[in-house]
Amino acid sequence: MRGATQARKYRLQGAGLDLALPYLMLAPGLMIVLGVLVYPLWDGLRASTRAYRYGSPISDVGLQNYLHLWSDAQFLNALWITVKFVALSVSFEAVLGFALALFCLREFRGIRLLRTVLIIPMVITPVVVAIVFRLIYASDAGMLTALSEAIGGGEAQILGNPLNAFIGLVVLDVWEWTPLMFLILLAGLQSLPHEPFEAARVDGAGAWRVFADLTFPMMRPVLAVAIVLRTIDAFGTFDQVFVLTRGGPGEATRLISIYGYDTAFKFQQTGYAAALFVTIGLVVLALAFSAIRLLRRIDVS
Amino acid sequence: MMHSSRLTRRSVIKGGLGLALATTALTTLGLPIPARAAGKKVIIGAFADGGLTPFKQKIIPLAKEQGFDIEFLEDEYGVTLEKWFADAQSGAGQYDLYLLDDPWVPQFGAANVLEDLGAGGIDGSDKDWIGSMIDMGYWPPQQGPRVKGFESAKPTLICVPFVGDLQTLTYRNDVFTGGAPKTWDEVIAKGKEGVAAGKIKYPVVFRGVSGNPIVTSWYPVFLSFGGSFFDDKWNPIFNSAEGKASADFFVGTMKQNAPSGVVEFDSDQEGAAILGGEAGAIIQYSGNALKADDPAQTKVAGKLDFGVVPSQEKAIAQMGIFIAGVPKSAPNKANAIEFLKWYVSAETQAKLSEAGSIPVKRSAFGIAKPGNRLIPVALQQLDAGALPRPRTPDWAKVEELLGIELNKALQAGSGGGAALDTAAKQVKDYLTTAGYY
Repeated sequence: MRGATQARKYRLQGAGLDLALPYLMLAPGLMIVLGVLVYPLWDGLRASTRAYRYGSPISDVGLQNYLHLWSDAQFLNALWITVKFVALSVSFEAVLGFALALFCLREFRGIRLLRTVLIIPMVITPVVVAIVFRLIYASDAGMLTALSEAIGGGEAQILGNPLNAFIGLVVLDVWEWTPLMFLILLAGLQSLPHEPFEAARVDGAGAWRVFADLTFPMMRPVLAVAIVLRTIDAFGTFDQVFVLTRGGPGEATRLISIYGYDTAFKFQQTGYAAALFVTIGLVVLALAFSAIRLLRRIDVS
Repeated sequence: MMHSSRLTRRSVIKGGLGLALATTALTTLGLPIPARAAGKKVIIGAFADGGLTPFKQKIIPLAKEQGFDIEFLEDEYGVTLEKWFADAQSGAGQYDLYLLDDPWVPQFGAANVLEDLGAGGIDGSDKDWIGSMIDMGYWPPQQGPRVKGFESAKPTLICVPFVGDLQTLTYRNDVFTGGAPKTWDEVIAKGKEGVAAGKIKYPVVFRGVSGNPIVTSWYPVFLSFGGSFFDDKWNPIFNSAEGKASADFFVGTMKQNAPSGVVEFDSDQEGAAILGGEAGAIIQYSGNALKADDPAQTKVAGKLDFGVVPSQEKAIAQMGIFIAGVPKSAPNKANAIEFLKWYVSAETQAKLSEAGSIPVKRSAFGIAKPGNRLIPVALQQLDAGALPRPRTPDWAKVEELLGIELNKALQAGSGGGAALDTAAKQVKDYLTTAGYY
């Protein structure tokens, strides 16, 4: 009798553990996710529906912060600049990255060293990159000015001219992030099956035909992933602009991240800044979903 | 007999718990043991600025002799406001003392995150204070308009002046041979002669970067033309005829006589231009001026002199003092207040003056051997006229709006007056939304 009770007890203990174990195992991870992801997100959403004064909430304003965004000329301007910046940077990075990946697909003497050198820019801290570019662009003592003066020209006006400063920022971003594109696309190219290419060669297809009919169509999903990743990342570009131009001259390089940062931390309009970032988050999320749908369609075709 | 080691639920849980305990123990053991304080600990936060060099070099060692253990944490100017405000508001307690730029005092005051230093025993009514400097330590201000919500509040001393920095003129004495130029027209005219004679490259250099830098450079010109920023109801009036004339002069005449890249110049480039011997004159705070006699830091040692800012109608400079506040969350609050009491004493202020920094007590200006010849000029400027920026918690936003428009006009080289009209409208709209009217 005693033995049977003991056995039932052990069985129950075992069953209880069976039930609890998955939750116990999940608990630490779940708590971390709740603490660092869900709670801040919830808090941000709550803040976006409040008005703040001197850094503290003073009243609930519902969706007023969100509505105000669309009549805020500075926000709309920053959004437009960001869209232009992302479109230009990511396009150049995709084209250059693809070209470099195709070039580096070949095996020749020194190719490993070349591949390593090509990815160096993306491993340098963005702030350091921005400082270096500042030293290149500075009109008084910059490298471009020195070069220009060496060939009889005047001071290079990059950071003081709205258009040049914007182009300068795009150049910086392209220099730093083309390697990421290159790396993803090179991995994609290396994973393509050899057979179709060999067959094309046997059929006498030229390099362009092979690229247009085989390489590019087969690489489209990888390219789409790379572009989506970079687009999401480029929307959040902050460090480089903060160091290089701080959004200037005027508002020529004031990306949405800089405007949001100033609004939140410098001007203490916490609620409005939260609404701004939630909106941008939704835009980026929509972009990502569209890209994923596009990917699926490509896969099906 | 062989034992087979089986992975069971029990062993996983035991192992997990053991690992967690071991990690906790190791982490605890591995934590740095707090070093025994070498005295009364005070953590000071400051933005990097040459104006604090004498304090760092001469006063911190003196403070150590007095039993204070000073930890001096520096950051770049552009990030300190937001960093310290977040620290104060969240109660993180990373600092005992902030060395604020004076326009930030209203923002900290309105948020009620700084200690009442009067209650802590610092005497704000001491007649030895430079009046215009100690006034900046009160919130709400003792004089002038107050923002809504603080109309009837009792002014509290939440900050005390730390380094009495204010704008003065630095000029080349081989270009302006008759002494400091009295007017802006003289700065330009004599500066052009200096350029023609090959002594300098530009009559004047200033900061043109959007935001705080360009507004800081334009402000003394604006004041010298007789401009006022707000009326007593917080309506922007900086786009008055005087204001517009000053902005047109700034983005037109001054730009034409400055380096072509002045639009992107900040204090580094401005300082390099005067210390490198390219500029005839600049308006600046003490940071670079303190390097004027050091051949290791300037190519024109002995050729730089200081004077009161030029006037068009008045010779009024902008004040930009370092001002110290103790956050309510300071971990060593009592030490910080005790340190401030020692620091603002007449004796320590005299030492500060000897070290070459601009003091905040009048008696320290009168010592036999001030450590820098800028100090008596700073007193002359104080007596000639020096004004703080408007005492509003929203100054950062106002400065941003105005700075962007001025910077755009500077790029174009014209349209200063129109830029002020645009900025005035933006400022009015912003302050309306913020409930000022």
